Amino acid sequence: MHVIETQNLYKEYTQKFSKQKVNALNDFTFNVEQGEIFGLLGPNGAGKTTLIKILLAITFPTNGSAKLFGTDVKNHKAKAKVGYLPENHKFPSYLTGEQVLSYYGELSGMKGGSEMNKRIDEMLGLMNLAKWRKTKIKKYSKGMMQKLGLAQSMLSDPDLIFLDEPTDGVDPIGRKEIRDILAQIKSRGKTIFLNSHLLSEVEMICDRVAILNKGDLIKEGNVEDLTKTENVFAIHTVESLSLEIKQKILLIDKNAGIGEKEINTETGLANLNKIIDILRSSNISIQSVNQKTSTLEELFINVIKKDNTN
Amino acid sequence: MLTIIQNTFREALAKKIFYGYYIFYAIVILIMIFLVNMDSVEGVMSLADSKMLVQQVETGFFTLSWNLIIFFSLISTASFIPSMLEKGTIDLLISKPISRPIILISKFLGAVLFVFLSMVFLLGSIWLILSLKSGYWDPKFLLSILWITLAFASMYSVVVIIGLTTQSTVVAILVSFFLIFVLCPLLSLREAVIFSLVSNDTVKFVFDFLYYVLPKPGEFKDIANSMILSEQINMWKNSVNTETGIFTISWLSPISSVLFMLAVMAYSIFYFSKKDY
Ligand SMILES: Nc1ncnc2c1ncn2[C@@H]1O[C@H](COP(=O)(O)OP(=O)(O)OP(=O)(O)O)[C@@H](O)[C@H]1O
Ligand SMILES: [Mg+2]
Repeated sequence: MHVIETQNLYKEYTQKFSKQKVNALNDFTFNVEQGEIFGLLGPNGAGKTTLIKILLAITFPTNGSAKLFGTDVKNHKAKAKVGYLPENHKFPSYLTGEQVLSYYGELSGMKGGSEMNKRIDEMLGLMNLAKWRKTKIKKYSKGMMQKLGLAQSMLSDPDLIFLDEPTDGVDPIGRKEIRDILAQIKSRGKTIFLNSHLLSEVEMICDRVAILNKGDLIKEGNVEDLTKTENVFAIHTVESLSLEIKQKILLIDKNAGIGEKEINTETGLANLNKIIDILRSSNISIQSVNQKTSTLEELFINVIKKDNTN
Repeated sequence: MLTIIQNTFREALAKKIFYGYYIFYAIVILIMIFLVNMDSVEGVMSLADSKMLVQQVETGFFTLSWNLIIFFSLISTASFIPSMLEKGTIDLLISKPISRPIILISKFLGAVLFVFLSMVFLLGSIWLILSLKSGYWDPKFLLSILWITLAFASMYSVVVIIGLTTQSTVVAILVSFFLIFVLCPLLSLREAVIFSLVSNDTVKFVFDFLYYVLPKPGEFKDIANSMILSEQINMWKNSVNTETGIFTISWLSPISSVLFMLAVMAYSIFYFSKKDY
C-alpha cells in the first residue's frame, strides 16, 4: 500500500472575473512510500500547494483521484493520521501557544488531559518555545509562529506529515534544528511530504524529489540519481602533464579539458579508463578520480529552463 | 464537535464586543432593579396587582428591546464564519479528520449556544429580580429564553450563508439589519401598509410569499408575550379581532421560521462541502 497515491490528477482554476483558466495540475500521477521524505519542488505558481490541498480534500480536483493510506481523500477518515502545516498558516490570535496545540490536537482526535499535556510540553520543548507557552500568539514573531505551526503538525504523532515551506521565516539555527527533527521523525518510519524553494535544504533531507512546472511533473527520482551527472569525470594528478601526454589524451577525447594537473572528460567510462592507462604508462601518479555531481539547484534551473523553452 | 463549539465560545469571549454586550445587559438589569425599587415605594400590592405589573414590565421590556437584543447577538457572532474561512485557518481546519458538515454545524451550534447562555443570564436575572420583588413567581417568562434563541438562530442561518458566500462580516451584519428592522416588520404589516397602497395581485403575492418564507424574529416576541399573558395562540393564521382590535399570533411564524432556518442551513452545508479553499 502506498502512503500517497494519485491517479491522473487534473486541476483547473477559473479566474473569477476574467474567466481565464489556469491549469494548476496536469495529469499528475505519483506515489509516495512509507518512511520517505519526499520533496516537491517548483517555481512560484507551479501547483505545489494545490497538490497538497487536493491530497487533504481542501480543494477538489477537476479530474482524477487521490488516496492516503489506501483510502480515498473524499473520505475524511483518510486524514486520521495526517499532520499538516499550511503555507502562511493563521491560528486564532486570541489563543496562547499551549491552547493552540491543545485545540488542534483535539481536532486531530487526541484526548485532552495529562497525556496531551505531556505531549504539548515535549513539542514546545523541541521547538524552544517552552517559555512562550502561556503567551498569546499575537505576540509571537514570524519564526516562532512557524515553529508553533510545525509543533502543531507533529503533535498527534501522525504517520504522514505535509509541510508547505516549513522553514519559511526560521533562522539558520532553527532550520538546522528542524532538519534534525525531521530526520528523527523519518527514522521512526514516518513519511514526510515537503514543499520548498530552499533547494540546498531539500538536498540535505529529502530521499526523493519531484519537480513541478506549470502543473506538469517534469522530473522525479532519488536525489542522488538526479544530481549525479553521468559520464562526467575529473582526474587530478600529482605531477604536471607534459605536452606530449596532453596530445595523447586529446586523441582519445578531443574535447577534454586539460589543465596543469587536471583532466576533465565528458565522454564516458571507457575513455576515462583509456586516459588513465596513458597516465599510468607515462608514470604519472593519480591523486583522485571523481564523478562530477551537480547541485540540486543547478539541476532545477536547467530542467525548468529546458521545460520553459519547449 | 465539542472542541469546535468550545473554541467558538473562546472566540466570542475574546472579542471586545462581547464586553460591550455584557455591560449593556448589566445596565439593563440595573435599570430593572432601580425601577422595581421605585415601585415598591407605593406600598404593598395585592398578588393580583403585582402579577399584572410583572406581566406588563416583562412584555413591555420585550416590545422595547426584542429586536435590539437579537441584532446585538447577531453582531457579536457574525464574524465567526468569515474568520473561520480565512486563508491559513480553513485549510488547517479541513485537514483535520472531521467532515465539513460537522465543522459548519458545530460553528452554528456554538453561536446559538453562546446566545442561549447570554439569554439565560440576561432574562434569568430580570426574572429573578421581578419575582423576588413582587413575590409573583411564574416560570412562563423563562420560556422566552427559548423563543429569543430560536429567533436568533433563524436569523443566524442567514448570517451563515452570507458569511460563506461573501466571506464578509459587514455584509452579513447589514443584511441581517435590513431583515430585522426593515423587511420583516414591513412584511408583518403588509396588509395594513402595503396592500392599502397597491392592490396589484402580483405585488400582493410576492409580499405574501416573502412573508411566509422569510424568518419572522419579531413574531417570536408576540409568541413570547402571548405566553406570558396566557393568551390564546392560533394554530395557522394570525388574526385581528375587528371589534376589539386585539391581535392574535399563530404558531405559523415560529414553524415557518424554523423551517426556513433548516432549509438555509442545509443549503449552507451543501455549499460549504463543495467549495474549494
Ligand atoms: N483559489 C484559486 N483560484 C484561482 N487560481 C488559483 C487558486 N489557487 C491557486 N491558483 C493558481 O494555481 C496555480 C498554482 O498555485 P499554487 O499555490 O499551487 O502554487 P505553488 O506552487 O504553491 O506556488 P508558491 O511556490 O508560490 O507557493 C497558480 O497559477 C495560482 O495562480
Ligand atoms: Mg505554495
